[in-house]
Amino acid sequence: MHEQTGDFVVGLLVFVLGLVGLVMASGALDDGMYVFGLSLAGFAVVFDLGIVKRHFDRIDAARATAEISGGGHV
Amino acid sequence: MSDLAIGGYTAAAPAAMRVAEDYNMEVVKKFTIAAMFWAIVAFLLGVVLALQLAFPIFNLGFEYTAFGRLRPVHTSAAVFAFGGSALFATSFYVVQRTCHARLFGGETFANFIFWGYQFFIVMAALSYVMGFSQSQEYAEPEWHLDLFLTIVWVSYAIAFMGTIFKRQEPHIYVANWFFLAFILTVAVLHLGNNVALPVSFFEAKSYSIYSGVQNALVQWWYGHNAVGFFLTAGFLGMVYYFIPKQANRPVYSYRLSVVHFWSLIFMYIWAGPHHLHYTALPDWAQTLGMVFSIILWMPSWGGMINGLMTLSGAWDKLRTDPGLRFSVTAVGFYGMSTFEGPMMSIKEVNGLAHYTDWVVGHVHSGALGWVAFISFGAIYYMVPILWRRAGLYSAKLAAWHFWIATLGIVLYITSMWVAGIMQGLMWRAYDKFGFLQYSFVESVNAMHPYYVIRMLGGVLFLTGGLIMVFNLIMTVRSAATELRPARGAAVVGA
Repeated sequence: MHEQTGDFVVGLLVFVLGLVGLVMASGALDDGMYVFGLSLAGFAVVFDLGIVKRHFDRIDAARATAEISGGGHV
Repeated sequence: MSDLAIGGYTAAAPAAMRVAEDYNMEVVKKFTIAAMFWAIVAFLLGVVLALQLAFPIFNLGFEYTAFGRLRPVHTSAAVFAFGGSALFATSFYVVQRTCHARLFGGETFANFIFWGYQFFIVMAALSYVMGFSQSQEYAEPEWHLDLFLTIVWVSYAIAFMGTIFKRQEPHIYVANWFFLAFILTVAVLHLGNNVALPVSFFEAKSYSIYSGVQNALVQWWYGHNAVGFFLTAGFLGMVYYFIPKQANRPVYSYRLSVVHFWSLIFMYIWAGPHHLHYTALPDWAQTLGMVFSIILWMPSWGGMINGLMTLSGAWDKLRTDPGLRFSVTAVGFYGMSTFEGPMMSIKEVNGLAHYTDWVVGHVHSGALGWVAFISFGAIYYMVPILWRRAGLYSAKLAAWHFWIATLGIVLYITSMWVAGIMQGLMWRAYDKFGFLQYSFVESVNAMHPYYVIRMLGGVLFLTGGLIMVFNLIMTVRSAATELRPARGAAVVGA
């Protein structure tokens, strides 16, 4: 699977999970669901930010490699 | 033939050199670190619980620290967090190497499997401490956690099977068969046992669709096969890859491995009812469970024999390779546990053993001697390769770990054997008038010294675990273990 396609599919899945977590937390009738819902939303935010970070890390790494090998812009 | 150096290990490369695969070893590293972390958590909690049983004042008077809430945290940390992380790490390592293919699904997908599984573990532990539980052993998480785990587990199955599908090798190595059986069967067990109706979408409470004795039967179909497929089949996958690698010998009998695989898979699934002897379960079902448990002796020992005989001609390596020592001792404990289990399933023996601490001792000879030791062996082998180090920081520390942990297990299981058999005998003792000779609390009181010995055994096992963590951190960080490639040798992706 192409890396960027994988990023998008998994990122979207986790985004949906995070939304479900927020809905669960918003209507929670007990502490267990409240803690789980909020944690799931937090997990989704951190995970998707990680995907964004790795995306730009890859671009930076490709740029650095191109500069070392031949100079010029990527 | 030229030499190919992979990590610290060298092997003769074939004439037609294969292009080195760019394996995804980052996820293997993460699961390896998680396995070591959760191992310490699980062992520490075990010691705390043993302390609470010996001295109940250590329940501390809070509901959050009570034995009833911490006990599932300990079992889940040991089985699913430590054992699970070790299985994820080794299965991803083995499937990529034996299929000569990068892990299917990409880096982000693998990261989701790792972080999703760790998130599940933390959430499950938190829910137990907060008092939320389905009250079913090894299946305590409530419905919302079960659903989340299903998503992660299906992702795991896709990554593993996808790698097999795109393999460069025509043959699927037998270790992958065991890992695949573990992944697929655990999925079926998890879905089958956790069919439940939530009280509300917004409430962490559900009711199983099974009731009464049907619930008990399905629960122990799940529970025993959690042992059979999570704690046996997956770890046998480790045996079939890491022991031949460590001993630098081929598997003793490939045919035996295939025969014992299929017989093990077929037999295990029927053995669950032996957990329900002398209950409301129909007598014929109890006997069926007992018979299949006894038949299980054969395929279980097939695996043990194959593991031990692989050492033929390489037994001397036990003196120099502490990782191999763990692996081989684990196979010994596997043989012992799989002898003891069927024996305890015989109704007459079970009449004495059931509900006693003998069962606890049996479980721990499997959990500590088999599951933990085979994981330690694999981790000691993998860490220098994964982090591209020349070898372990200290073989002597690994040897100390081995002997301290072994002594800990011996203290644990012997004290529980004595305690359990004593309990069983005290509960069934009658005086000359036909009255019970001992009250229940007298049997509890008689257990005290054995509970203290058990706790000491746990302290030794935890100490060994801490030594391992120190040794492995130093292996990764110390300058003494830096890899210096031999002149002319190619260092390829670990």
